[in-house]
Amino acid sequence: MIKLGDKKLGDKKKLRPKNLNLFTIRLPINAVVSILHRASGVGLFLALPLFILAFKTSLDSPNHYFLLSNILNTWYIKLMLIALSWAFFHHFFAGIRHLLQDIHWMTSLQKARFSSRFVLWLVGFSVCVFAWIIW
Amino acid sequence: MFIQLLTHKYPGMRLWLSQRLTAVVMAIYIVSLIILLLITQPFGYATWQESYAAWYAFASPVWFRLSTLVFFMCLLMHAWLGVADVLKDYVFNKTLRAYMQMAVDIALVVYLFWLVYILWNV
Repeated sequence: MIKLGDKKLGDKKKLRPKNLNLFTIRLPINAVVSILHRASGVGLFLALPLFILAFKTSLDSPNHYFLLSNILNTWYIKLMLIALSWAFFHHFFAGIRHLLQDIHWMTSLQKARFSSRFVLWLVGFSVCVFAWIIW
Repeated sequence: MFIQLLTHKYPGMRLWLSQRLTAVVMAIYIVSLIILLLITQPFGYATWQESYAAWYAFASPVWFRLSTLVFFMCLLMHAWLGVADVLKDYVFNKTLRAYMQMAVDIALVVYLFWLVYILWNV
C-alpha cells in the first residue's frame, strides 16, 4: 500500500496510479483516425529523405530520370509507393478534418464519428485510385 | 493585440498556430500541383527523353521553384513541430529526448539546404 501522506508534495505525482494496459481500452473510431494521423505523419517524416532523393534524381539528367523510372516501375517499389500514398492521403484528409474541428465544425460526437468514417472511406478510395493509376 | 496575445500570454499558441498555417499552405500547394500536373501532363511521352524534357520544363520556371521551396519550408516546419510533439509524448528520458530532437533538427536543416541546392540547380 502506498501512503501518499508520508511523501513530499513533489513525489505525489510519481505515485499516481496509471491505467496503461492498452488491451483494456477499445479505441473509438475518432481515436483510430487520430492515432493513424500521427502514425502516418511519422511515416511521412521517415520517408522524406527518400522523396527528396527521388525528386533530385528525376531532375538530374535524362539518364538518372530513366534510372529512376525503371526503379519505380518494379512491383515491390510500387507496393511501397501505395503504402506511402496511404500515409499521405490519411494524413491529408484526417488533417483537414482536424483543421475543420479547430474552427469548431462538426464537433459533436455523432458528427465527429460520421466525419471519421467519411475520412476512412475517402482515404481507401484515394489509395485505390492511386494504385489503379500507377499500375 | 492578437500578436501580443500569441507571443506573451500564450507562447505555446504560436507553435500550435504555425502547425495549422503551414498545413493550410501545404494543402493549397498540393491541390494546385495535382491539378497542374493533370492539365499539363509532363510525363508518359513515347520516349523517356521527351518525358524528361517535359518534366524538366515543368519544374524550371521561377514561380514553380519558389512555390516549391515555400512548400518544403512549411513541410519542414510542420514536421519539426509534429515530431517534437511525438517525442514529448513517448520519450520520457529527457537526455535521450534532447539527443533525438537534436538529430531531427539537424536532419531537417540538412534537408532544407539539400532542397535549396536542388531547386537552385534546376
